[in-house]
Amino acid sequence: MDLDMVRYLSQLGRLSFTDEELEKMAGDMTGIIEIMDTIKEIDVTYDPIKDNHNVYLNDLRKDIAADSYPTAQILQNAVNSEDAFVVPKVVE
Amino acid sequence: MSAYIPVIGLEVHAELLTKSKVFCTCSAEFGGGKNSRCCPVCSGMPGTLPVINQTAVEYAVKAGFAMGCDINKFSVFDRKNYFYPDLPKAYQISQLNLPLCINGLVPIEYEEDGVKKTKNIRINRIHLEEDAGKLIHDDLNGVSLADYNRCGVPLIEIVTEPDMSSAAEAKAFVEKVSLLLQYAGVCDCKMEQGSIRADVNVSIMKPTDTELGTRTEMKNLNSIKAIGRAIDFEIYRQGKLLDMGKKVIQETRRFDDNRGETKAMRSKENAHDYRYFPEPDILQVNFTDEQLDAIKNSLPELPAQRIIRYTSEYGLSENDAKILVANKILSDFFDAAVKAYNNPKSICNFINGELMRRINLGEITLENLPFTAEQLAKLVEMADTEKVSKNDAKDVFRVMSEKGGDPEAIAKEKGLLISNDLGKVAEVIDKVLSENEKAVEQYKGGDMKVFGFIMGQCTKALKGVCTPKVIKEELEKKLKS
Amino acid sequence: MDLTALKISDLRSMLDKKELSAKELTDAYLDRIKAVDDKLESYITVTAEAAEKAAEKAQEKINKGEASALCGIPLAIKDNICTDGVKTTCSSKMLENFVPFYNATVMDKLENEGAVMLGKVSMDEFAMGGSTQTSAFKKTKNPYDLTRVPGGSSGGSAAAVSASLCAAALGSDTGGSIRQPSSFCGVTGLKPTYGRVSRYGLVAFASSLDQIGPIAKSAEDCAVILNAIAGYDPHDGTSSKNEVPDFTAKIGRDIKGMKIAVPKEFYAEGIDDEVRKAVLAAADYYKSLGAELVDCSMPSLKYAVAAYYLISSAEASSNLSRFDGIKYGHRSEEGENFAELISNSRREGFGEEVKRRIMLGNYALSSGYYDAYYGKAMALKQKIREEYENIFTGCDVILTPTAPTVAYGVNENISDPAKMYQADICTVTVNIASLPGISTTCGYDSKGMPIGMSIIGKKWDEATIIQAADAFEKNFTRQNASL
Repeated sequence: MDLDMVRYLSQLGRLSFTDEELEKMAGDMTGIIEIMDTIKEIDVTYDPIKDNHNVYLNDLRKDIAADSYPTAQILQNAVNSEDAFVVPKVVE
Repeated sequence: MSAYIPVIGLEVHAELLTKSKVFCTCSAEFGGGKNSRCCPVCSGMPGTLPVINQTAVEYAVKAGFAMGCDINKFSVFDRKNYFYPDLPKAYQISQLNLPLCINGLVPIEYEEDGVKKTKNIRINRIHLEEDAGKLIHDDLNGVSLADYNRCGVPLIEIVTEPDMSSAAEAKAFVEKVSLLLQYAGVCDCKMEQGSIRADVNVSIMKPTDTELGTRTEMKNLNSIKAIGRAIDFEIYRQGKLLDMGKKVIQETRRFDDNRGETKAMRSKENAHDYRYFPEPDILQVNFTDEQLDAIKNSLPELPAQRIIRYTSEYGLSENDAKILVANKILSDFFDAAVKAYNNPKSICNFINGELMRRINLGEITLENLPFTAEQLAKLVEMADTEKVSKNDAKDVFRVMSEKGGDPEAIAKEKGLLISNDLGKVAEVIDKVLSENEKAVEQYKGGDMKVFGFIMGQCTKALKGVCTPKVIKEELEKKLKS
Repeated sequence: MDLTALKISDLRSMLDKKELSAKELTDAYLDRIKAVDDKLESYITVTAEAAEKAAEKAQEKINKGEASALCGIPLAIKDNICTDGVKTTCSSKMLENFVPFYNATVMDKLENEGAVMLGKVSMDEFAMGGSTQTSAFKKTKNPYDLTRVPGGSSGGSAAAVSASLCAAALGSDTGGSIRQPSSFCGVTGLKPTYGRVSRYGLVAFASSLDQIGPIAKSAEDCAVILNAIAGYDPHDGTSSKNEVPDFTAKIGRDIKGMKIAVPKEFYAEGIDDEVRKAVLAAADYYKSLGAELVDCSMPSLKYAVAAYYLISSAEASSNLSRFDGIKYGHRSEEGENFAELISNSRREGFGEEVKRRIMLGNYALSSGYYDAYYGKAMALKQKIREEYENIFTGCDVILTPTAPTVAYGVNENISDPAKMYQADICTVTVNIASLPGISTTCGYDSKGMPIGMSIIGKKWDEATIIQAADAFEKNFTRQNASL
């Protein structure tokens, strides 16, 4: 697996690597992909309907609202301010 | 600038009016203190799982029926993966290959260059997904504050085929969809609260081109006006580029409402690879024919049906019917009034006349009328049965608009109520005649012009006692005797 | 008598007869944890105070004669199961200080039963691995040989049960994470049918494969715990509404006539000779009890590891995206903007193996590769299911080795992830096919390390594999761990 691909995948997963780590990851990934590539030889196609669990509309959760959790609990594991999660600015 | 044909497609997002969120039991209502409508599920805590809301699925299917869609009897949910701070799980549960609804059709009517036109817009699909939270930007501290109250509010995405070719068509489409969703009872379509918003795709091509041009996308437009302006600007911008021999770049652009322009977002944000895959936490949803029939049958009367009822049953003109139906609150108000007083034409005239006049003047709003439909019906009935004069009815209505109240009570208080007490009429006319002997003599001498004067005196003295018609009859009788 | 060495069934009768108080029992385990866990390194968090309180409450129930099966029984909980008010780390630096404010459904159920939680035990980071050596905190050792791994990912659970640091434990199994460490540590571990136990509050690794299950000293103890935690949960849409039977019901019943399939691919090259021999000997023992051995084949087994890693990594890459340092978990000191902050937080918070899986998962799902990898893996999943269905038309249960080898040294295999992945060959198909499987010890190798065999059942038929495992255990003498 080439470094560009590894770099692209690391961006997709929001992981950052040093160049050295990237090299090592490329090596690991190459070995792993070799195993994964064994499935290329078999000709099978996925059929979503075969995964049907026969759940029908009436089996779904009824639309009843319940109490939410206290805001303090929602935020207890986060850097927070003014009842909200603090996020550094988003660059677009 | 040479002539180009714009090709426009829309993705309309509409929040569904369920009580609870789509994947948890938190309230789906708009507003609330920051992060006060959250639980471990909708705030994306580790180990939590989504459990799908039956009513959200039903509402999405209802929307599908309202737009003439086919329903997939086997529908699958998928994950759309991307990182953004308003999306706590870093994936949105949505639908990719087997959405709830497919292949719909929405007829639109619009006016272009003063000409009324119609067109059918094809719906590619309607799928169910979850809304994201809100970011409040704190420029002073250079941070954003994330509020997850809106996370998990059920959302449908209505995706059209690229069937529109002008801002007017796109605007008419969004208005029509809003109306359909409101009539179906699945969305309040309050654009100012963001409960309906649209993404717009625009490309342009020459009439001789066989392939579509490169398209750009403007996301999250939250007013009809913005939709129109963004499209117009984009058609202009792309045309200018092509005229100069440049190329249009496929990208997402932000519409700046203040400047009326679109601007490219940073290209990195454009390179989205959403890595969709079937959502393993939600089992596929199946429908029986009976279940689909039941949803279809529960669909309330839609605008087209209502227009037919108004014209064929009530005998309203098509124009009047359309004015009423174009606003669901107005139309519902009309229906309630007709229920109280079965004279649709008369009520329609009053609503489209007096009521609309005061609304257009900004004195009252439809959302917050100070009187009920029954009270308005009563006033119209009083005018029709000459309990108040047509003119006085407007006076009574002015008071109702200002402070509400029962029309009869208002008319009575203002002495506008007509009793048609003939004894009293005779008495008053006799008095007026005796006080104006000279005029009576002139009249009897053949001066017919003086009748108006006498009639005026009688009307003044008999205000609130009887109608001018009765006064005239009684007066003529007396003068002839 | 060493209380901690006893099975739940024995403890139950002693507690009910008041020969033993719940507090005495809890204290016995807490003392033993204090004495030996420095060497074993199985507990990340010991909740001694809460355990004492829970024991007192349990005693009140026992005194009133209201004790249910697990009342007063001290248990260890894998650290990826959310516990209200108690740190739940997933053995990751990412969640080093994460304290849930909600319970996993299984924890609510255990609390209602009056079970006593002793603490949270180590695992491979986010349950990714088979050695517990990817843990950021406690790299648990094997009680039979402290230089060897306990297996994983539920290595802390299996080691703690094996070393009698709890009466039993909860683990989770995505591709063998209950059965393989049970095998390595010489105890019994049960992976229930997918949907049998609620996953609510289990920090997700691969949602379509994850299942919580018991690790205990016997199949019977596993059945007792499964009785307590199984059942439909409105908070988990994938949990089953199927009726929950009494999983102990078939225990002690004659297995005469039971058809046991032995699929040849599971005994092929790559399986250690000693392991193969021990499992085949167990098959012969079943035959001697009157069971019928049936030959069968699973042609797609050679694709199973690839299919498993593609599916599990794809789901994991998505499931682990929520760990960004914003809502909870490790938040980097560095980062000017959102993208930088979360990249740095994830870089610092996740270990190497977790990163590899995220990379692989994103590869399998990324545009242009989806059909060749994820799509193909999903198709293989369906094919493997069909092959199982086919095998089950001719048998009641399937017998395989649990792992190709016994527990290996703590420093082996780690450098070559690809080789490590291959070691999951015996267990992953059970998760892929949503089936129940139980691993129990069937022998020891020349160095005295435990060898595990797996009995795989039909969907929803945990009772029969429990019956089969119990039938073997009844006449098998386990060698105690040296620790």
